[in-house]
Amino acid sequence: MGSLAAAGLVMILSGLGAYYATDRELSVFSAVNLIGGPLLLIAAAVVQARRVGGFSGARSRRAALRSAAVLVSVIAAALLLTHLTDDWSAALDLTIERSYTLATQTRAACDEMPPAASGGVELLFFEEAKLAKEVELLVRSYRAVCPELRVRTLSFAEAPPAARTLLERTEATVVACQAGRCEYVGFPSEENITNALLRLARRSAISAYFLIGHGEVDLADEGDDGYSGLVAVLDAEGIEGRGWIGPASGAVPERADIVIVAAPARNLLDAEIDALDAYLRRGGRLLALLEPGVRSNFDDLLARWGFDLPDGVLADELSSPLLEDPNPITLLVNGFGEHPVVRELDVRTMLVLPGARMVRAARKPEPEDRLRNIAYTSRAAWLEQNVEAALSGLPIAPDAAELRGELPVVAAARYPRGERETRIVVVGDRDFVSNRTLASLYNRDLLMNAVWWLAEDERWIAIRPKLWTPDHHPLTLQETLSYFYFFAFALPELLLLLGIAAWYRQRA
Amino acid sequence: MTQRLWALLCKELHSLFASPIAYVVLTAFVSLSAIFFFQHVVTYNRLLFLFQGEAIGMAGFDAGTPPRQLNILEEVFIPTSGDLSLLLLALIPLITMRMFAEEKATGTDELLLTTPIRLWEVAVAKHAAAYFFVFLLLATSSVFPAVAIEKGRLGLEHLLALYLGQLGYGVALAAIGLACSSLTRSQIVAAVLAYAIPFVLLDFGWLEPLVSEGVASFLGQLALQERFETFARGVLELRHAVYFAGLTSIGFTVSLTSLELGRAR
Repeated sequence: MGSLAAAGLVMILSGLGAYYATDRELSVFSAVNLIGGPLLLIAAAVVQARRVGGFSGARSRRAALRSAAVLVSVIAAALLLTHLTDDWSAALDLTIERSYTLATQTRAACDEMPPAASGGVELLFFEEAKLAKEVELLVRSYRAVCPELRVRTLSFAEAPPAARTLLERTEATVVACQAGRCEYVGFPSEENITNALLRLARRSAISAYFLIGHGEVDLADEGDDGYSGLVAVLDAEGIEGRGWIGPASGAVPERADIVIVAAPARNLLDAEIDALDAYLRRGGRLLALLEPGVRSNFDDLLARWGFDLPDGVLADELSSPLLEDPNPITLLVNGFGEHPVVRELDVRTMLVLPGARMVRAARKPEPEDRLRNIAYTSRAAWLEQNVEAALSGLPIAPDAAELRGELPVVAAARYPRGERETRIVVVGDRDFVSNRTLASLYNRDLLMNAVWWLAEDERWIAIRPKLWTPDHHPLTLQETLSYFYFFAFALPELLLLLGIAAWYRQRA
Repeated sequence: MTQRLWALLCKELHSLFASPIAYVVLTAFVSLSAIFFFQHVVTYNRLLFLFQGEAIGMAGFDAGTPPRQLNILEEVFIPTSGDLSLLLLALIPLITMRMFAEEKATGTDELLLTTPIRLWEVAVAKHAAAYFFVFLLLATSSVFPAVAIEKGRLGLEHLLALYLGQLGYGVALAAIGLACSSLTRSQIVAAVLAYAIPFVLLDFGWLEPLVSEGVASFLGQLALQERFETFARGVLELRHAVYFAGLTSIGFTVSLTSLELGRAR
């Protein structure tokens, strides 16, 4: 290795050092060194090549040429393979929740994409966005799974006009577009990307009407107890949520695919009860969310449709120790029956219900009706009758007169009578979808499964796509310190002692 | 043939572990990786403490609720992956620099070149010994992260992805180091070359203003830097495996070619 090559190497290292040290600014200094260094290396290689004359015989020259040809072929093959495989998305996902293995719903959504040839859906990935590094793998997964989805990596400056309008409001990492219409993807998780694709692909939105005006939860309330999060979640899934004041219209709107009634605190007018009953009789869909200590004549309507709603609040001694809040009325529910609404929910995928009523599918109004209890407490639960004490956090304990055991908290029913089947889902707690708890555990999955089942669009029923849920308490400082002393000091000390022994033996 | 190869491998391993430098490198790697890992865990714990404290009122976050981005993956494992890569880059040339160059400097290569031993067996033995050392480096440094990953519920498979990625990268670095060592009789020159090549391969962004878009894009595919994070995120991508395999095979072929040219001369 001559002095020319050494000088070339020094120039390259200096040039690169300056380039990285100045936050990848290509200064004149870097440029001169990075151009001069390789030139010196080439000169050194030419000088070295002259020494090929050292191969005296024809045989040795042939051997040298053969070796050089093998080397050139290996380099060419390696470069070619690297180039060809750069676009491949084949990967082994070893994350604990298989975060980069796209969920069933995403695959189903991909199957529904219009063909790329007829101006299909595009996923635009902005590589200079803040979250780009974290999302790149996810975007590659879409490229692998959705053949009809065109995935483009581009800079903000290259964004098409419709996407640029979105980007003017806020920075996005991923935007989904179709035929000049673009959908903003908030935090670029699989869930949000798939929802954006669904919004583009779905022709007409599903309408969910909330009964309001009787002390129900406020849809616009952004506080812990409000439903603003629920409305946003429905909207993200392409479901239009709007309030409906019963007395003003007299009947349930024709457009209502689903009606949601969240524990009215006051009695409904008779006309409203009749309107809801008529809606159900003509094949309506109802999601009823109840609340302990909140009763109205709406309960009587549910009773007419076969549900038994006894007074009291459910308490469970087994679930409370798992929560930070030791109140036994905060239920962790992980017992599920066989039903599409709880499909793929099991003992590991719990719901958290902060105070729930018992809901029992008690009797069939007509012989062909199908009513099922679909989610239960643990066997240690009881139906506490002192609701006021339980809700105010006073200590409670089961007594002999109270119902005990595995008690139902969610029930679902089908009434195949007319042209269109009536469907009802009743959940014993309205707070499980409040802003405070909607994102907790698998509450959102139960909500969306129920909505899709009521809307008879059961393709999307399953666990919603999720990214890894971080554990915020891995190693305590104490544990870290004890491991640290062993691995940073004790083990290296042992290795050094071994090294000294080896050195001593070699000298001896 | 297998016996001969085995004997050569044993000889290489013996000469590797008879030298104190192997132990110094092992000690430095284990110690530094533990210190870096510890620093990240401590910083992470401090941030958690801040976010979980009652008094904090940072805009955008509720008191007591750490943001989603604050987790052991983002705060500990991804930075650790970067640290491991740098440590491997700093330490592997110290091991590989002597493996061919020392034989040339002391003249023992003449013996190898004139005996009936096949040259590819010599090259395979030297490469296998170096790769084994890389494996040993990573294995000894993986226990601390393994404990944390188990506690952080990331899953040992995730750790496997991180370390398989690092192993691919380390083996490629070792192959480059051995190739450099085979080109010279000076260990210092071999080490400097072994530092310079990965440094150049790290990122070709500096070439962008000087070359056409197509060339820049092709060079971008050859860059080393983008390849670490995927493994740290728990995903083994085939394209990265192909890239590391390509670098390794080039390194191996260069050292084999160098031996063959030596014999032909």
